Amino acid sequence: MAAADSPSAALRRRDLCSRGIRLAGKMRSDVIDLLDTYVERQGLDASASVVAVEGVPAAAAERWDKQTGTQRLLDNLAAYRAFRALLAQMLEEQREQLGEADAALGQALAAVLLQVSAFAYHLEELLRLESRGPPSEEGAGPPPLPHLGLFERKLRGLGVLRELAQWAVRSARDLRQLAKPGPGSSSAPSPAESP
Amino acid sequence: MFSAWNWVAHGLYLLLNIFFLEVSGGLVQSCGHIIPESPVLALGSNFTALCILNESCLDFGNIYANQIIWKIKNRVVPKEQYREINRTVSSVTFNDTSSLATPLTCNILADGQIEQNIYGITVTIGLPPEKPKNLSCIVHQVSKLTYPMTCTWNPGRHTFLDTHFRLKYRWPQENFPDCIPKDVNNSCTITDVQFFVNLEVWVEAANALGKAESDPLVLDPIEIVKPLSPHNLSVNSGILPTVLKLSWENRISAAVMKLKFNIRYRIIGDTNWMQVPPEDTASPRTSFSVQGLRPYTEYVFSIRCMKEDGVGYWSDWSEEKTGVTTEDKPTKGPPIWRIIDASRSPASWTVHLMWKALEPFEANGVILQYEVTVRAKSSLSSPPEKYSVNTTNLTLKLPNGTYEVTVIARNRVGASPPSVLLIPASNSKAPVKNVRTLPKDGKLWVGWTAPNSYVLKYVIEWCLVSNSSDCITEWQNEPGNVQGTYLKGDIKPFKCYLITVYPLYADGQGSGQSVKAYLQQDRPSKGPTVQTKKVGKAEAVLTWNHLTVDEQNGFIRSYTIFYKTIDGNETAVTVDPSKTEYTLSSLTSDTLYTVRMMAYTDEGGRSGPDFTFTTQKFGKGEIEAIVVPVCLAFLLIVLLGVLFCFNKRDLIKKHIWPIVPDPSKSNIAQWSPQVPAKHNFSSKDQMYPEGSFTDVSVVEIEADDKKSFSEQDLKPFDLLKKEKSTSEGHSSGIGGSSCMSSPRQSVSDSDEGEATQNTSSTVQYSTVVLNGYRDQTPVQVFSRSESTQPLLDSEERSEDHAGGGDSATQRQQYFKRNGGQDETNTDRPCFERTKQITPANEGDLVGFAQLQISGQSSQPLGIELEKNTQEAALSDVLQTSTEGQTVRPETVEGSPLSVDEMPKSYLPQTVRQGGYMPQ
Repeated sequence: MAAADSPSAALRRRDLCSRGIRLAGKMRSDVIDLLDTYVERQGLDASASVVAVEGVPAAAAERWDKQTGTQRLLDNLAAYRAFRALLAQMLEEQREQLGEADAALGQALAAVLLQVSAFAYHLEELLRLESRGPPSEEGAGPPPLPHLGLFERKLRGLGVLRELAQWAVRSARDLRQLAKPGPGSSSAPSPAESP
Repeated sequence: MFSAWNWVAHGLYLLLNIFFLEVSGGLVQSCGHIIPESPVLALGSNFTALCILNESCLDFGNIYANQIIWKIKNRVVPKEQYREINRTVSSVTFNDTSSLATPLTCNILADGQIEQNIYGITVTIGLPPEKPKNLSCIVHQVSKLTYPMTCTWNPGRHTFLDTHFRLKYRWPQENFPDCIPKDVNNSCTITDVQFFVNLEVWVEAANALGKAESDPLVLDPIEIVKPLSPHNLSVNSGILPTVLKLSWENRISAAVMKLKFNIRYRIIGDTNWMQVPPEDTASPRTSFSVQGLRPYTEYVFSIRCMKEDGVGYWSDWSEEKTGVTTEDKPTKGPPIWRIIDASRSPASWTVHLMWKALEPFEANGVILQYEVTVRAKSSLSSPPEKYSVNTTNLTLKLPNGTYEVTVIARNRVGASPPSVLLIPASNSKAPVKNVRTLPKDGKLWVGWTAPNSYVLKYVIEWCLVSNSSDCITEWQNEPGNVQGTYLKGDIKPFKCYLITVYPLYADGQGSGQSVKAYLQQDRPSKGPTVQTKKVGKAEAVLTWNHLTVDEQNGFIRSYTIFYKTIDGNETAVTVDPSKTEYTLSSLTSDTLYTVRMMAYTDEGGRSGPDFTFTTQKFGKGEIEAIVVPVCLAFLLIVLLGVLFCFNKRDLIKKHIWPIVPDPSKSNIAQWSPQVPAKHNFSSKDQMYPEGSFTDVSVVEIEADDKKSFSEQDLKPFDLLKKEKSTSEGHSSGIGGSSCMSSPRQSVSDSDEGEATQNTSSTVQYSTVVLNGYRDQTPVQVFSRSESTQPLLDSEERSEDHAGGGDSATQRQQYFKRNGGQDETNTDRPCFERTKQITPANEGDLVGFAQLQISGQSSQPLGIELEKNTQEAALSDVLQTSTEGQTVRPETVEGSPLSVDEMPKSYLPQTVRQGGYMPQ
């Protein structure tokens, strides 16, 4: 924690939190826009319910308010690494499926993928500031996806995006919690701030 | 012979080896090559090239490295730069590649004569790339989700080589593909960037001589965003007439950035923008109410935005939208003034009321009408007259008096406060003083000194004074606490304005004080046209007309008259501008002068046309002074001549047309003293009919017989003189040749009554002339002669004799009587007689008086009397100086000749005097 105690580390941490929160906000905004585009382009029903997608971490946490800051960061990092892989696969599938015909959807997916990647970088940096260091990605990614049909892939994509939107909200709250000054940065947030 | 053929064969072989030594598979193999092949060299560096000859050429061509010649283009490289490394390799070294050029060739002198090319290379010279500098980036928002980032940099110096620039960027954990500029070398655009992650950006420049990288730029692209301006701006009028509400849409997500705004606005037609205080719009929003606006005014609005924290760039201003505030009541009444025309009737006025339309910011709406109320102050009981007009003037005919005029402007919302103008019966209050003007800042400022009394307000009237147009009055109101103002109108330069200031009091009005002014003066547009009114010998009176107001362009400060002769210097005279006439003096007479005139304002002068005139040769009165005396002298001479001729008329007459007596008409019988001549005339005609001669005798006289004029002979002559002094008037001569006695003595005068009475006792001869001489009317005259001598041949002869009296041998002929006596008297008798009279006693004067009576004219006599008096005096002198010669005084006086010649003139005198010629 020595690094976290230095003023520069505190500034760096605050800056990372601040920009992470805004990035999460933008990511959510973009994902919601992307959802609309995706549903439209993929011919899906916006109200279609999607069961939990395998490999997609759930944003909801039963004891969110009890989590420490590090735990929050680790959960976030695991989730976004998973999203990064899922979105990359979706982008690949989308290119295979639509080719360059729907460049806007591909660009939007690529932009969200970049943001997910950037957010993961934020989380890794914060973990470094926590003197924790990011865990290795080896084995941390989602298991190899089973071969799915086209429609299933569409539904899975819809589920990924919806969950990502949820995570964006949660991540913003997690980072706000982390950004609060004081030694209790890694302590559990108050129940009032729980989502 | 063999040697020659050998050389020829060798040469051919060499050529074939050099150029086409061996053709194998379409490739040409040369006799050597250069290392390095087509190098790229840094400008200013040193460079060494090697030319390596093929071994095969050595055997057949007999060529070696020492025969190699290096050339740059066609220029031979100095031998000092060569080095023969071995028999097949030659090197050349350049210390500075700037002296290099393409191609660099390796050549050889075959047989020491023929230069042949072995190989050549292309040398490329350039510079390594410089480190790109001043890298900067900006993210332009082009749509809601698209944020391309454009980075620019300074590529550095020109490298003369193909240099590639790449914009590199990366996240700490992720690299992105390079951005490669298209067509330019100093900017590149990354199509999309992600915010909230630091991006490291740098530029890499590379060419054949190396590569260089700029300093990296680490930034979060969100900090360099230039967002799109808000759009769909709308302006809505609110409830209040001073408020407009703006609404818009932002085109950047709040999740990306929070915005702050600038709102600017202006009145339409105005160029100056006003801005809503930035602190009022420093937070994210999509609407704003602008307050403090003018009622019924159209405004133009525009808005822009940027990141809330001020990091980044302002967007462009949005499209402009207009909105109009609602109407409100006019804030003030229209300024009012009047022009009173009292010329038509002394008892009533024609009052032209005029007021100015309210400014838009005062009208606060559309003025629908003006309500004018005129109330006579003198008769408070009478109701006020009310008028509703749509124009800004009203003409009323009012009796003389004091009136209060009120004007109200009304729009849809309500009425303005009233404007009140008091029209007094007379402008009896104190006027302003010291009205002055001053051009300032392109406007005309009018100042005045306020009167001592409290002034409610001032009215400044002005109009443009011009010959071509009437004075159209403009006016403006000023509050009573000022003493100067700028004229609010289109005041033109170089034009004359008449400005009048009126003070308005609560109970009256002061008379106007006027001043003329120019906003800007210029030289007059033309000069005065000068001309002469009167030209004299040494002076000329010049006149000119004043320039018209339109020509003056300013206040005429002076006139200057320039005048000169053709070859003389120009003389300038400054004249007061009020004058229209000037007299040039001290001019040279009879000289051509050129005169012109300049009119000066404060800004300079302009000359009028030249005018020439010539001064007169003579001054006023000079001609008269010369001509009058000359004329007088001429007249005098003429008069004297006339007098002279009159005096000498007998002589002249005799010379020109002498009267020849008609002997045929002579009648001696009738010519008797006892018989009155009158009685004989009729009988004479009867007795001597025309053309008949009676008795003609001719007497010849030796007139020059001096001996006959002895002293003794002269004695009786003296006696005769005495007798003559008393009776001369009674004597008569033929032909009337005596100037004094001719009228009576002349036959033609025929005063026979007197002639008869004057007949002396001496023998008298009669002469009868039948025919007239020359043009004279023949007169049959009975004439008598006092001479006792017989008649001579003719009077001409005697005349000749008298003229040449000194001729002793000349004979004189008398026609019946000795007319020569009379003829000799033509010159002398008068003088002789006066000579006799002057020394004589009073008895002699009696005779002279008789002569006067007998004369036809008294004037010659008078003159002759004067002459006689002078001559008498002279004779006195002579008498006293020549004592003992008193016998001959008349001789001395009778002729101006010398004393020695005197005796020559005795004969005719004696004949005349005595009427007797001794024979």
